[in-house]
Amino acid sequence: MFLGVVVGQLWATRQVDDLRGKRLLVVEPCDDPRAPAESAVKPVVVVDTIGAKEGEHVLVAFGKAARVAAGGDGDFAFEAAIVGIVDDVHAPDMPLSWRPGHARDRGASSSATADGANPSAANRDVTTKEGGH
Amino acid sequence: MLVGTVVGTLWSTQKDKSLTGLRFLVIEPFTVRDGPRPTGEAIVAVDPIGAGIGERVLVVYGRAARHAIGRGHDIGFQCAVAGIIDRMELAGGRTVGTHVEFDES
Repeated sequence: MFLGVVVGQLWATRQVDDLRGKRLLVVEPCDDPRAPAESAVKPVVVVDTIGAKEGEHVLVAFGKAARVAAGGDGDFAFEAAIVGIVDDVHAPDMPLSWRPGHARDRGASSSATADGANPSAANRDVTTKEGGH
Repeated sequence: MLVGTVVGTLWSTQKDKSLTGLRFLVIEPFTVRDGPRPTGEAIVAVDPIGAGIGERVLVVYGRAARHAIGRGHDIGFQCAVAGIIDRMELAGGRTVGTHVEFDES
């Protein structure tokens, strides 16, 4: 599971049947450890059954957890899905960009930060992509 | 799932029997922060759909990939093309098209 920001949406006509009707979002993992991340951050395409919007911080699950979250425990041809929209994050020394509502320099719309919610996960297991750092 | 551009085709004669007859593509993932920008990496994926060189594709891993390949789950591979991207709409109104040739810059 990792913390990421929705940066876009994509569509595909020629695709495996399992993906038909699935809303596909482009998510960039929040793996900038210090400064605003450079373009080395590889985006992840995830299935969205919750209705996340561009600029929102989301929790993305991988593997069977993702398939279960996207409806049933069956075999699907995807392995990443949004399982939650993050209200707030508390982690010592976290970069500003991890914070929901943080205005990215790309002009992504920011989401309101709700108080009191408990976004689980210390978000320390953010997937570290190789390269860039 | 990750997004990548098909940069080549790969053939192999001596391979696991479960892979006989499958089509392999070489795919280079791209980042989207400043337009589609290649990462310089290369991954190999089975292609059950029929993507061509230059096309932007969705790549899945693991059980999802074996399911996409459609030969059951006892197969010696864990990466597959699950879709060919028509269009990506990104923050700031930027878009990524279906083929590298159609890129604006």
